[in-house]
Amino acid sequence: MTVLDDRIDDQRDLGTPAVESETVVTVHIDGVPVQVPEGTSVMRAAALSGAAVPKLCATDNLEAFGSCRLCLVEIDGKPGTPASCTTPCSEGLSVHTQTPRLDKLRKGVMELYISDHPLDCLTCPANGDCELQDMAGVVGLRDVRYGMEGENHLDAPKDESNPYFTFDESKCIACSRCVRACEEVQGTFALTIAGRGFGSKVAASDGVPFLDSECVSCGACVQACPTATLQEKTVIDLGVPTRKVKTTCAYCGVGCSFVAELRGDELVRMVPDKTGGANEGHSCVKGRFAWGYAGHEDRITAPMIRESIEDEWKVVDWDEAIAFAAGKLTAIQEQYGVDSIGGITSSRCTNEEVYVVQKMVRAAFGTNNVDTCARVCHSPTGYGLKQTFGTSAGTQDFKSVEKADVIMVIGANPTDAHPVFASRMKRRLRDGAELIVVDPRTIDLVRSTHIEASHHLQLRPGTNVAIVNAMGHVVATEGWIDREFVQERCDLGSFQAWEEFICLPENGPEALEEATGVPADQVRAAARAYATAPNSAIYYGLGVTEHSQGSTMVMAMANLAMATGNIGREGVGVNPLRGQNNVQGSCDMGSFPHEFSGYRHVSDDTVREQFEALWGTPMRSDPGMRIPNMLDAATVGEFKGIYIQGEDIAQSDPNTEHVAAALRAMDCVIVQDLFVNETAKFAHVFLPGTSFLEKDGTFTNAERRINRVRPVMTSRTGMAEWEVTCALAKAMGYEMDYATSSEIMDEIAAVTPTFSGVSFDLLDKVGSVQWPCNEQAPLGTPVMHVDRFVRGEGQFITTPYVPTDERSTRKFPLLLTTGRILSQYNVGAQTRRTNNVVWHAEDVLDIHEADAQTRGIADGDWVEVSSRVGVTRLRARISDDIPAGVVYTTFHHPVSGTNVITTDNSDWATNCPEYKVTAVEVRPSAQVPA
Amino acid sequence: MSNGSEHGLDYEQARLVKMVNQIASNVPNRDDIAGQVAVHLRTFWTPVMRADITEIARQHPETLAAQVHNALDQLQTVEA
Repeated sequence: MTVLDDRIDDQRDLGTPAVESETVVTVHIDGVPVQVPEGTSVMRAAALSGAAVPKLCATDNLEAFGSCRLCLVEIDGKPGTPASCTTPCSEGLSVHTQTPRLDKLRKGVMELYISDHPLDCLTCPANGDCELQDMAGVVGLRDVRYGMEGENHLDAPKDESNPYFTFDESKCIACSRCVRACEEVQGTFALTIAGRGFGSKVAASDGVPFLDSECVSCGACVQACPTATLQEKTVIDLGVPTRKVKTTCAYCGVGCSFVAELRGDELVRMVPDKTGGANEGHSCVKGRFAWGYAGHEDRITAPMIRESIEDEWKVVDWDEAIAFAAGKLTAIQEQYGVDSIGGITSSRCTNEEVYVVQKMVRAAFGTNNVDTCARVCHSPTGYGLKQTFGTSAGTQDFKSVEKADVIMVIGANPTDAHPVFASRMKRRLRDGAELIVVDPRTIDLVRSTHIEASHHLQLRPGTNVAIVNAMGHVVATEGWIDREFVQERCDLGSFQAWEEFICLPENGPEALEEATGVPADQVRAAARAYATAPNSAIYYGLGVTEHSQGSTMVMAMANLAMATGNIGREGVGVNPLRGQNNVQGSCDMGSFPHEFSGYRHVSDDTVREQFEALWGTPMRSDPGMRIPNMLDAATVGEFKGIYIQGEDIAQSDPNTEHVAAALRAMDCVIVQDLFVNETAKFAHVFLPGTSFLEKDGTFTNAERRINRVRPVMTSRTGMAEWEVTCALAKAMGYEMDYATSSEIMDEIAAVTPTFSGVSFDLLDKVGSVQWPCNEQAPLGTPVMHVDRFVRGEGQFITTPYVPTDERSTRKFPLLLTTGRILSQYNVGAQTRRTNNVVWHAEDVLDIHEADAQTRGIADGDWVEVSSRVGVTRLRARISDDIPAGVVYTTFHHPVSGTNVITTDNSDWATNCPEYKVTAVEVRPSAQVPA
Repeated sequence: MSNGSEHGLDYEQARLVKMVNQIASNVPNRDDIAGQVAVHLRTFWTPVMRADITEIARQHPETLAAQVHNALDQLQTVEA
């Protein structure tokens, strides 16, 4: 465990943000020379010199505000006492931060603040962690001349509506840090200073309680607050933390770095890490607050076994559980053959945990029947980007968006699903970048505070390829191809074939208008915007991949980016927004049945021999089964045993009835998870897993950033998950010995060229690296394909539009599409066990008013949603976020059974399910779900 | 071409039929559909799945697109 010494505090607040300038100037702070970029604030220069200036309204993730008047300084040759936060450094400036005149002014300012502040420091939850308290000490405040009897705000009411933090107005000093954090960092603009003069106060939305306001509970305001006005309830309950551990969030693919703050072994709060490459000090409601599931009473911490799924669970010790599981799997293989069992790795587990599971399957089970939950989300990304660019990963780091001039968001809803990246994107949009949204839904980005998409291509579900082909057609036929880039960087034969294909009239926006429902002129305008901007970047999500042409669509986007020269530098690229925290990593680690780690095919003799030599056992040269293949084979009695690491396929995978039938048909289902999830109902062995707070390893986020996951607390199960996997492999006759997870990473680095420079030591030293990290790039690779594509020349691929088989009919006239909401995460196993349920206690069906009216459905009614594979019931919500003919829901609650109605249609290349298009009918329901 | 379910195929067989026909409909180069289908099956399908689809092609040829039959012929040649 790495415990960070508080004395080495890299979370230090330098007061104002860093300034970029090629000119470096020298200033003198209290006689000490300091070199800083020109334009750096005097406050920041002083902090860098070690002479921190007192401050209250300034903090270094917000622009200088200059309101508190505490940071005054004197500057030789300049009149008055300027605020150091708003005074830029120029060559030769000589600054004095401590003078009798300044002392007097500061003390006077503090007297005014304290005259309207409760003097309850000893019982205040921020005692010891309060900047106001600190500043009172710094300026030497000993008394308040004005007394405490005058008009004040000490009786102001406390807003405790938010489940995670309180707003105690009586402690507010109206510094506006919270308001500015909501604007500048989060970009929600939920807070304001209402009133004027003495009546000024922080208000959420129109003065409503925080919970009822537009506040998204990202925690930026709480982080910014210098007093206990905005305070985590856990700090109020438990006290100020006493030690810190840096780790990585386990929710979405942004992979935010956090400082876990504890009292002893009790986690008090998660504070976003300022040095985190992915999030740079920001967070969302899930990562910041929704970690309580780790200690939830539903958590299973002891292994359990049973002969039949009809039996009660029997709690056993680890040895018995491992022996039981190994015995069952071995017996199955003896009876049905080596390939009658397999495993699924989890994107919620660390690289090291995933690596050992796929190793166990390949080496101990002796089969390539290993797959990962990326099968049902971003497998088309892996396929499409490997075909075109040469490797299965996004091209940029998140920071790159700051250089984009046009941002095209396709099939993604970042403000809900990737909120911290969305905040970064929104900053760039507020600064002037143009936005294209391609989505059937009117997602928040289309129009929200200070953001408006200039192009919203509101296409019919299932017509992505048609839209991007049409854009490519415009680019090619209107002369927007970057021929210099194509000539230098791409395979010309493939380009010529693509150009010939894309210029066909059938790919024109006019020809495809009927299919997509998007007027041709809108497509043309968007294509011109994308093609003609200096830097255009594509960001996409599961609205791209979870289609029957998911892989085709990924390749179509790659074509568009290459044709316009938008690859290989900052501000451009093709960027998947990964659903889970370690989707990238689980794929990198060799979880696909046809690939070893680093995306090398099992048929490659050289690669296979490397693994055979290291692992000491023969490797199979043919691909194994994917998840749907395993389930299909199970239903006909050919696949009998499975090890499922941290995935709830009975809830998350499509056509629930089929999944259940497959699981029920198996002789041994092993589930390794935190909770008895839907899949565990079909399990014979339950191996308790560890939460991210107990793990020791690494996650790799959507920008290929490998981050350390450090144990904040000891494992509640008594074993690390990788130790359990190794024990099972050993019980099946194959020794897998590691003393630490660091040793597993060392093995990963030894066998995976893109990881060859990675080690825990390096990550502990530099924070994080983005793969490839090797001899050529010892500190990683933020932007890929800079001088050449990984595959050498970029490969254009023709992408004919093939409509999905799933079409609306008279019987099923509506198209259902699914997605996520901000407060919940995937199947909700974690977030449903936190206070996040106050925002989303159930899944609802969004339906357009016209569709609702024709069916006699009112807002809030229970409705029956039927598809050709199943029926479920949900409460309806009339919404104009979706067009007529389309309905939308989430899949966070098992009772909703959303995947009862999704079909087994899938991407042609990868079998990624077509979650985004299901033909359904919706009718009022007399029945209400139990 | 069909999804196979109406030909007395079991669930797994019907799925294989649907998958391979879908692959043939979607491979990028429309001038060499069979070749690309063959490569795809060799790259991503297990030997058992390839054997099963070959058997289906023999017993229920009407369920598969013509290019799939060509692809399976190519596959057999390569694997022979």
